[in-house]
Amino acid sequence: MSRRQSRNAWFFLAFPLTIIVVFTALPSLAGIVMSFFEWSGGGSPRFIGLENYRALNAAGPFWPALRNTLAFAIVTVPITVGGAFLIAAALNAEWFRGRTTLRTILFIPTIVSIVAIGFIWRWVLDPSPAGLLNHVLEWVGLQREVLPDWLGHSPWGLATIMAVSIWRGLGFCVVLYLAALGGVPRSMYDAAAVDGATSWQTLWHITWPGVRPMSFFLLITGMIGALQVFDIILVMIGTNATGWTDVLNLYLYREFTLNRLGYASALGVVILLLTIVITAIQWRSMSRSAEEGT
Amino acid sequence: MSQRHSILRPSALSQWLIHIAVYAIALTMLVPFAWMITTSLKTRGEAISTTPTLLPPGWPWEWQWGNYSQAWATANLGRYYINSTVVAVVVTLLAGIHNALAGFALAKMRFAGRQPAFTMLLLVMMLPVQVSFIFAYVICGWLGYVDNYQALIVPFLASAFGIFYMRQAITSVPDDLLDAGRIDGFSDFEIFAYIIVPSIKPALAALAIFTFIASWNSFFWPLIVIDSNDLATLPLAVASLSNQYYTDSWPVQMAAATIITLPLIVIFLLFQRAFVEGITLTGIKG
Repeated sequence: MSRRQSRNAWFFLAFPLTIIVVFTALPSLAGIVMSFFEWSGGGSPRFIGLENYRALNAAGPFWPALRNTLAFAIVTVPITVGGAFLIAAALNAEWFRGRTTLRTILFIPTIVSIVAIGFIWRWVLDPSPAGLLNHVLEWVGLQREVLPDWLGHSPWGLATIMAVSIWRGLGFCVVLYLAALGGVPRSMYDAAAVDGATSWQTLWHITWPGVRPMSFFLLITGMIGALQVFDIILVMIGTNATGWTDVLNLYLYREFTLNRLGYASALGVVILLLTIVITAIQWRSMSRSAEEGT
Repeated sequence: MSQRHSILRPSALSQWLIHIAVYAIALTMLVPFAWMITTSLKTRGEAISTTPTLLPPGWPWEWQWGNYSQAWATANLGRYYINSTVVAVVVTLLAGIHNALAGFALAKMRFAGRQPAFTMLLLVMMLPVQVSFIFAYVICGWLGYVDNYQALIVPFLASAFGIFYMRQAITSVPDDLLDAGRIDGFSDFEIFAYIIVPSIKPALAALAIFTFIASWNSFFWPLIVIDSNDLATLPLAVASLSNQYYTDSWPVQMAAATIITLPLIVIFLLFQRAFVEGITLTGIKG
């Protein structure tokens, strides 16, 4: 019985696990190893120790790309998750009208192709007077001269990318928060009402701790995703991003297309290490605040 | 579905302000898409006019519906529609079956190696694609997949996230149901097909929608593994519109953006109940 079950279980698992091992697990290990080699894809790789990492440190694009990637993650993830929590709490309230329709509308940017998103926003942010945003800003009285190039290689470009990412990510988090809010026990709210808590106090002391596991999930997966930011910049600004609009992943992609596979792998390892460190920090701080029971 | 709370009841004024704020945010979600559609129906001159109008000038039958056929023909979108649909449908169906079977094994079967297999999945879920894609590309090259349909399909026939998600859903199916099936003489596969699958339909639907959207929208991987034009997927083809022919023709670009966007929105609207229920039921609560 148990032996047959064991055989069947492995029969069910064999193909899916093979796919994951061949196309994700092994390539990741190989990537980590290859970061200590020089390899152009053909011929045999040459072991060079930490040379790729030394070269990274010395290369011009690395530190700005790292700064921008971290800034992107640190700004967008908390705003997206926190904003989504507030919106979901509002939608979940009994007095709120239009919950289902709004949930649908908020979710739309999440499902639309990033290529279409890039097109649409490039057009809305177009620097010509026909660009919708500039047109509206002029209409409310701003001078054309003071309006920045929203998609330039300046801090404005990075800010625009952040704003569009937040815009795109909100709906997904709202839908997941709505699912989690249904699980907060009614009795907690009743107790708060007996204690005479205001709505804001209830929101902060009952609702927010009640959905902590979801916040935890969204912050960690959000950070992991944000450190890999790539396609939104590619479609809105292009691969030739420099200065304030370059990120690690875009730099990696450029090196990959130049067939500098060892060097590109080293960049991948940097992103992996960042992911591990930031996840660990979040994990520790969130489990600590859970113990304190804020 | 989820219970709504009457306890959070701010003053009437606050309620108004909250409504206004949330509706304003929702409006920012709609305006860019509305702008996309109206622009797609304008002439080039109307689109870049310094006094843009919300709707295209004239009656609806006078609008520039030809932009759509132009985008369709110039970028040969029909071909790419078929490519994207075939890839997304095949991946969604097969990955759904594979992930559910693997999730069933991990959730409900006892066997040697279960814990290591599960731990490996969790680790793989954390790996950023940046460390894996270079050698995934190299391996696809060895297998002869590069610039082939296989490269777009085979690596996605199972996913760590999908298996994890299915395992979470299947764990909540009561063991009594499975035992009843065993007493009736069901094999493991019959238990899967006749007991598990019917009990996790919403989660399966949600995973199917996730997988379909991810496949339909995927951009980074096709960009890397597909060189020849006739294998491109819709996002690649539409992206190339902007740097090839129509750098300055916004209406045609917006028509292309509409063409690529619409099917997903329709699918989402049709299945959103199942989708939301699936998310709620599986309790991905971290």
